[in-house]
Amino acid sequence: MLAPALALLIAVTLAPTLFLIVTSLTPLDLTKPETFGDFSRPWRNYVLLLEDRRLHGSLWVQAKLTFWTVTFQMLIGLGFALLLNMRSSLLQALRTIYLIPMVLPPIVVAIIWKVLYTPDISPFYQTFQWLGWNVPTIMTDANWALTAIIIADTWQWFPFTMLMVLSALQMMPAEYVEAARVDGASSWQITRYITLPYIKGVLLVAGLFRLIDSIKAFPLIYILTDGGPGTVTEVTNYYSFQQAFNFSFLGYSSAITVLLVALTVVLSWIILRLVGWGRDVE
Amino acid sequence: MSNEAFAYRSRTERQLLKALVVILTIMLMLPFLWLLLMSFKTNEEVFAFPPRLFFTPTLDNYRGLWTSSFPKSFANSAVVSIASTALALLVGVPGAYALSRASMRSEKPISLMILTSRMAPPIAFTIPYFLAYRWMDLLDTRLGLVIIYLTFNISLVVWLMRSFFDSCPRSLEEAAWIDGASLWQTFVRIVLPIAAPGIAATAILCFLYSWNDFFFALILTRNQAMTAPVAVVNFMNYEGWEWGKIAAGGTMVMLPVLVASVMVRRFLIQGMTAGAVKG
Repeated sequence: MLAPALALLIAVTLAPTLFLIVTSLTPLDLTKPETFGDFSRPWRNYVLLLEDRRLHGSLWVQAKLTFWTVTFQMLIGLGFALLLNMRSSLLQALRTIYLIPMVLPPIVVAIIWKVLYTPDISPFYQTFQWLGWNVPTIMTDANWALTAIIIADTWQWFPFTMLMVLSALQMMPAEYVEAARVDGASSWQITRYITLPYIKGVLLVAGLFRLIDSIKAFPLIYILTDGGPGTVTEVTNYYSFQQAFNFSFLGYSSAITVLLVALTVVLSWIILRLVGWGRDVE
Repeated sequence: MSNEAFAYRSRTERQLLKALVVILTIMLMLPFLWLLLMSFKTNEEVFAFPPRLFFTPTLDNYRGLWTSSFPKSFANSAVVSIASTALALLVGVPGAYALSRASMRSEKPISLMILTSRMAPPIAFTIPYFLAYRWMDLLDTRLGLVIIYLTFNISLVVWLMRSFFDSCPRSLEEAAWIDGASLWQTFVRIVLPIAAPGIAATAILCFLYSWNDFFFALILTRNQAMTAPVAVVNFMNYEGWEWGKIAAGGTMVMLPVLVASVMVRRFLIQGMTAGAVKG
């Protein structure tokens, strides 16, 4: 019963990954058919990786994007979770609303923010103009473009942390809080010394998931900034896409992607170590 | 179970907090509502300042969509998502059951392979698939998309259904074996009916992921197999910024997603973490 599933999984995921590694050893360029299967200098792409300034820049952009989106999503998500953790049928109903940004197709989220960032039609820009403020178009301003992406991404994904924390809070035994209450602890002390330590694990896992997903950032960047202005919003994933499908250097792009996949494997392994290997550990 | 830090606060404080939460929630949803409103506006109204909250809604944008090639892309999205989901369930559910009931040494590598295929950046699969499809003439075909969507759907099915089967008692199956039923008979007659709700939730999640995909469809399709998300983005590039039509297309793309998510809201978090966290 397991065999067909495993065989199919290997055929659709493992085999292509091996193929990716193979192409990363060739100078494959779609415009030059003779480069297909040219293994004369297998490590050339990887040597180029070390010298490619634009790649190093993209790694730095990636680091900034990941750091800020994960930080904001954790803080805002945690804040909202603590705020919504009341026994109230109204708030229960509101929780469902928070699912909306997360489940929206990423391109719809990108369109929503494209509208809000476009001065001609954005209610924000119209208000700023009315107030007489001169606000730069943040999608095309080199100082603000990455912030534009960070805001949109945070809006879409803080509910993820929030809902994960909320479901953990619901499983927290009520005796913990009551015992502290009896001992005279304040709300703040209870949050700080009882609630936070209890949800530490969930926060960590939520953060790791968002971290890995931030490596895949694509639709927002594609629609809002196209990696620009210049390369200020070009993350590594996006750069790899440019190399492969705009410049048609599939070999070199494969080498960049192998790097990203290796990073993903390591991070997935860490998650599995943290949460058990898919088994109930308790 | 109530364990809230605010439980012992005064009534007024609780009411104020609730009001605050409601206001914050509405504010956070405004960007989403704005797009929805825009899809019912004419182009003049889109550019009108100050924006009118009350305007005569028009269905022109939706009519415009209907006469373009959008319905075809929408149908492509539906066919591809459903086919890929069905295929993943057909193979993945028995696999998950076997994985749950057998204990074996290769379990860890299998877990890692499953989680990694959920986590890997799409471009990792796109490059090899693009090359293979060029050679096999599968570029711009629905079949090509169905196959590449299996990369995440199979892992999603195996992972979610395994934790579902893990939590199902074995006593019924054992009784069936004692009565002489074969493994497959037990699976079809006993296990599947019990697993039906789990399978339904998993199916909807697979559908969501397939439907929401943008990257694979962007690169592997052109005209014939183009999916709805790519079609909407194409409006942005070619049709001279018809914002109303873009908004209407966006609304059409998100409609099935919103309906499906409400149906599986309890499973969503679990599904998004590929079952690594029990929701």
